[in-house]
Amino acid sequence: MRSNATQRSQRLPALGRRAFLKASGGGLLLAAAGPALLSACGSGGGSQEAWEGPISMLGWDFQPDMIKQLVADWSAESGHEVDVAILPNVGYSAAIQTRLRGGDKIDLFYNFAYNSRKFIEEGWASTLNDLPGIDDLVADLFESSRERHVTPEGDIISVPYFSAVHTLHYNERMLQEAGLSAPPTTLQETYEQSKAIADAGLVSSPYVAYWVKEFCEEYLHTYLLAEGITAFDDDGNPVFADDPKTEGVFEWWQTMYREGLAPASVLNDDPGKLSNEMAQGNAAFFVLHHYFLTSIRDLAGPESENVLLAPVTAQNHTLQIGEVLQMGANDNEEARAAIWELMKYYGWKDGEGRYSVFTEWAKAAGLAAPYPGFFTDPDVVEAFPDYYDLSQLSQIFDTGSKVVPARTSAWYPDFQAKVGDVVHALLLGEITPKDTVAQLADAATSAQGSGGL
Amino acid sequence: MSTTTVRASRRADTPAVRVGPLARAARRFGVRMVAPSALLLVVLLAIPSLLTVAYSVHKVPSNGASLGEFVGFDNFAVVLSSPVFWSSMRTTLIFSAGFVVLSTVIGLATAVLLNQEFVGRSFARALLIVPWAMPWLVLGILWRWYADGSVGGLNSLLLTLGVIDDYQEFLADPTSALLLTIVAAVWRQASFAGILFLSGLQTLPAELNEAAELDGAGIWGRFLHITLAWLRPVLITVTVLNVIYAFLQFDVIFAMTQGGPGDATQVLSILIYRQLFVVTNIGLGSALAVVLGALALVGGLVTVKLLYSSESR
Repeated sequence: MRSNATQRSQRLPALGRRAFLKASGGGLLLAAAGPALLSACGSGGGSQEAWEGPISMLGWDFQPDMIKQLVADWSAESGHEVDVAILPNVGYSAAIQTRLRGGDKIDLFYNFAYNSRKFIEEGWASTLNDLPGIDDLVADLFESSRERHVTPEGDIISVPYFSAVHTLHYNERMLQEAGLSAPPTTLQETYEQSKAIADAGLVSSPYVAYWVKEFCEEYLHTYLLAEGITAFDDDGNPVFADDPKTEGVFEWWQTMYREGLAPASVLNDDPGKLSNEMAQGNAAFFVLHHYFLTSIRDLAGPESENVLLAPVTAQNHTLQIGEVLQMGANDNEEARAAIWELMKYYGWKDGEGRYSVFTEWAKAAGLAAPYPGFFTDPDVVEAFPDYYDLSQLSQIFDTGSKVVPARTSAWYPDFQAKVGDVVHALLLGEITPKDTVAQLADAATSAQGSGGL
Repeated sequence: MSTTTVRASRRADTPAVRVGPLARAARRFGVRMVAPSALLLVVLLAIPSLLTVAYSVHKVPSNGASLGEFVGFDNFAVVLSSPVFWSSMRTTLIFSAGFVVLSTVIGLATAVLLNQEFVGRSFARALLIVPWAMPWLVLGILWRWYADGSVGGLNSLLLTLGVIDDYQEFLADPTSALLLTIVAAVWRQASFAGILFLSGLQTLPAELNEAAELDGAGIWGRFLHITLAWLRPVLITVTVLNVIYAFLQFDVIFAMTQGGPGDATQVLSILIYRQLFVVTNIGLGSALAVVLGALALVGGLVTVKLLYSSESR
């Protein structure tokens, strides 16, 4: 071995200091001088203070080609260049916070509503109070939607990206075959109808819900509101813990899961799979955002045509959700003006006063905008597939849904991150409904205090 | 054998080399060549480590504008007094034990098998690299689908083998979810261990086994006293690496279960991710990271100690 190595070293020229310096000296010189030469030849040394754009925009990957097209249309009209970057939806919250913390400058970004006030407080997003036309935009919103975009102190923190309401998707044919004349109007009726459908042998687990950990918090509010329970008071206190009906909601959840009326897999299933379960006729009920009806219909399964929408419960409210657009921290007035123009176009109306972006989203995926005028706009009416009852949807937005203002509080993401663990423990039978109430109340209190794990 | 004796014998073996100015210059040149990359490595390891320790004793603002208020060991107190932490610690230890033992044993068994003469051995050896070449995250997504209760191949396989009598939702059950995340991670790590063991086995002189066989040693005796003894340095390296990989495992588990159902697969690295990147409680997340780092370090050192002490015996 040693002799071979010696022979090899004798054959190969040794890399000595002189040889190395000789070989690399020229290269280093070029590398050092290159940028200087290039900059001397290239840029004319224009002023760095005047804002020339482009606007940087960050969104998540829901129909990325559509996002780029919509923005490109605006760019062509306004003359402002926009750099659009798209990140995966899963993990978006972590990714954008990491980027902003690392010093990335993002002028306009999609955000989850529950992060919006936190982003203002951290200085990553700016308020929109003084921008031209903002008051008209706020006035145009459903009254029920305003608290998502305006803080109790009157700060306007975001504009809508899209909005939706939690609804019950049900299979009309299965209901009829099980001898049921109408969809359920209470949680108790939902349980009874699920049992009737299972007993009739139509499907073994008729009720599917998006019960993955990350999403349980939305369901928490959907079902609390369905029972007329106020989750948090104006000061953010978890008053749901004082309402005796709350325990009943958790008993209902646990019963649905433990009795197998919801399949075991719902703890991990994504909405795509759940939509397919409805389309294929493997489930009769599905609670999620109204626009999943489009997914179910587009799947063109044997039961797709039989799936319709109804309110989660008839007497009370449902959760109105909406993700938002926020303006990044940018002090340059010229930049703010340009970003605001893009925000108005993307989150409200175009230059001609039409909901052109929302119309495209409605056409593509059944997404809604939290503006009453949206539901009566002829372009929008035409864009929505005819299986949507727009007057029913509009009514749910108007008076049948709430946004839960606490969901935009700066402390809320901490609470949101903990709900899934507790709800899963409930569903798996590891804790009682009573313990669930207590643990969720503790999670809310600790989120507003020092945090904790 | 004392240190002095070793030095003396080495000196005696080594031919005298006259160190002149040229040789000294060449040595200095070598040091200078290595210095930038060595410095880069130190910086890349040291700065984040020191920052994490510094963050762990501060209440750091989410926006990273400053280090924030010094809070001493408050973050550690919050961590150590939290039942969530201890539950996660228990899960981490169970996961790590399963991961280390299975990936080491399966890796060793695979290497021994692939060291035998059989038709298609080269192809089988090439296949060994496939799991290792797969990113952890992709592996997690694949296993998630494989374990799916409706369309996954695992149910079909177990049904055919008669292990189960109906399709199961493995990832919705706390015990089987933890077990499956271990199996998925082991699938990749065992191939890495197998590659290292195989390279060690290829340096084992065939005469040793032949001589032992002539002396009447059985298969188990030869494996224990020749193969395993020869592989001991590799075994130490593999085990220590496995321990470190086990404690730092994140991608596979996150892709398969996101730490669920409930907190069944919520290992410490997932808890850290949640604190650092979702809730952005940098101080608390860093305190957790320091604890996990210490755990991995202690785990690695204890493994080295145990394996070296068994070697000296």
